[in-house]
Amino acid sequence: MKVLNLFKRTALVAGLTVAAMAQAQDIKLGFNGDLSASPSAQSGKAGVIGIQAAIDDINAAGGVLGKKLTLVVRDDQSQPPKSIQNMSDLIDNEKVVAVFGPTNSGNALAWRHIPNQKKVISMGMIGSGTDITKPMSPGADNYMFRTSMVDREQVAALVAYAKKSGAAKIGLMGETTGYGQGGLKDLEEISKLQGLAPLAVEKFGVADTDMTSQLNKMKAAGVETVLVWAQGTPTGQLIRSMEKINYFPTMLTSWAADNITFFDAAGKNLAGKPVFLRTMVNPSTPAQKKLYERTGSQLAAPSAFPFVVHGYDATLLVVAAIKQAGTTDGTKLREALENLNAPVQGVMKTYEKPFSKTEHEALKAGDLAFVKWSDDKLIQFSDAITKSLTAADFKR
Amino acid sequence: MTIALIQALLSGLAVGSAYALVSLGFSVTFTTTKTLNFSHGEFVSAGAFIGMSVLFLAVGKPLTSTSFGGVDPGALAQLSGLAAALAVMGLIGWLLFVLGVRPFARRPGMAWVMSTLGFGVILQSVGLAIWGPKPVVVPSPVGDDILHFFGLGVRPQELLMLSVSVVVMLVFDFVMQRTLIGNALRAVAQNPSVASLMGIPVTKMMIGAFMVSSALAGLSGFMLAPIAQASLFMGLAVGLKGFSAAMVGGLNNPRGCVIGGFLLGVLESFVNLWSAQWREVAIFGLVILVLAFKPNGLFGTKMVEKV
Repeated sequence: MKVLNLFKRTALVAGLTVAAMAQAQDIKLGFNGDLSASPSAQSGKAGVIGIQAAIDDINAAGGVLGKKLTLVVRDDQSQPPKSIQNMSDLIDNEKVVAVFGPTNSGNALAWRHIPNQKKVISMGMIGSGTDITKPMSPGADNYMFRTSMVDREQVAALVAYAKKSGAAKIGLMGETTGYGQGGLKDLEEISKLQGLAPLAVEKFGVADTDMTSQLNKMKAAGVETVLVWAQGTPTGQLIRSMEKINYFPTMLTSWAADNITFFDAAGKNLAGKPVFLRTMVNPSTPAQKKLYERTGSQLAAPSAFPFVVHGYDATLLVVAAIKQAGTTDGTKLREALENLNAPVQGVMKTYEKPFSKTEHEALKAGDLAFVKWSDDKLIQFSDAITKSLTAADFKR
Repeated sequence: MTIALIQALLSGLAVGSAYALVSLGFSVTFTTTKTLNFSHGEFVSAGAFIGMSVLFLAVGKPLTSTSFGGVDPGALAQLSGLAAALAVMGLIGWLLFVLGVRPFARRPGMAWVMSTLGFGVILQSVGLAIWGPKPVVVPSPVGDDILHFFGLGVRPQELLMLSVSVVVMLVFDFVMQRTLIGNALRAVAQNPSVASLMGIPVTKMMIGAFMVSSALAGLSGFMLAPIAQASLFMGLAVGLKGFSAAMVGGLNNPRGCVIGGFLLGVLESFVNLWSAQWREVAIFGLVILVLAFKPNGLFGTKMVEKV
């Protein structure tokens, strides 16, 4: 009896040890971002679905460097202190080789010194704040990469459109939050680069319900094209105020207008007014449709699908770097990412040398699609100007 | 330019009417109990969500929906929504007084500040658990088509809110100055123990004040929801502005509170014509300036604190 017991115990311990060793040999990837607290949590969830889908596909095809990939997910509930704590936990305790996320740009700005100090890749695939991927000091080694929307690239595309359409009478508007003011600064700088002098620059509060005063100033200044940087709801209120004074200039806005909160606030009749940018319109290529069929039912809204794609492609890019470097060492991975030899066939596009020492954005202005609302659906916005835009038109 | 000025005045009055209603709510409890509900803003949100829930039920949608999908609930549903917002918030006001204020009122210390703040946090957390953070567009009982005249534009709901706040102010004025209940309320504020000796049911009066104040918050929320969208965070800004309006107008004068609300709304709108960047600075600068020269507000009467 005792002997049998001993045997059982030994077998159990041996089994656990083997399991632990197998675990230790897996390559761990991490996700750190909001999955539950803020309205953008649905983007975080979509991103994780994309990363997991890519990991499943790669593992099914034999893994990387003969090892399986696993994903460690940490919810930061959109709070910077929690996000910082998660980052240290993932890198120091879980020993992940790369961290995806975060959902909220502000959290990346709160912890971007950590991956840089610990020399671990951080691959953004949701937050669009321009400064996230800037090096800590000019010329310093930079571990922050991104495969997603970038505010500055959006602004570059919107202002390029305004310039090429011959709109000389432009006005700029932004909400008085960090998001609005950051975008407004980008709008002012890039307008200047394009040689456009705004006739008026106006601001409004994020909870304002009446912006007629600011709009009357725009109208008096003769503004015909207004570029707006604000979140979904205030952008909707802005259009409702335009209706009050019957003043409808051409409207180019931040991509927050793709959010259902904008559509609700503006209402069906007015929601079609602004033109804005997304990384993709609707699943259109076979690869995109296939991924959508596989993951669509898990999404809170179809509009979150681009984050599935970004999560998927971001994972492919990191894995390509691991393969090329032949190791999971952080410094070698950064060097590999900055100089990817082979093109990476992603779901959104094929990435050919997406990154370099100075370029850490996989998606640029030229990759973005102009969209607008039509009834309750997002459709591609296409005219002679969007078709004629080339890389040379984008200034940033 | 004249049109722009008049539009700013009109828009300012519309925004100010929300501040006026909230400000009046602060005034009611202060004039009777010398305490304030520091969660009045959260009570405004709660009122909006109670009204909205009734509307959802009326159109046959679950309570926790997030969109009306263009369905108009109709006049009867709107009236029931209003009644529910007033009644439920009145009840919550009673609870607030019994649990959060009476044990601490007129005692040294500031315990009632914390307990009213805590009450708001509880309401907001419960709301978040039920409805989540997404704002909901609520259909207006008077439609959403803009009324245009002389090149000006205003939404019917904004005019409705404007009229309601003026009417409520007039009613309060009348009740406080011309009726027995008003006299009794003012007596309670002046000196509760003497009022009690005169046969005035002091506790009932205080409960009444809290119920009316909370019902007013419910009314503000219900009126504001079609303009600003129902959101659990909508009350915070409007609560702060409403309190500022009460300070400017005079916390112990209902008429002054409403005028203070309109004043703030119009000032905001005019500052927007100049530079929206400096709006908050201008508003709170004005509050500090008024308090420096007229500590009881523009229309408030001097209070004598007996020690």
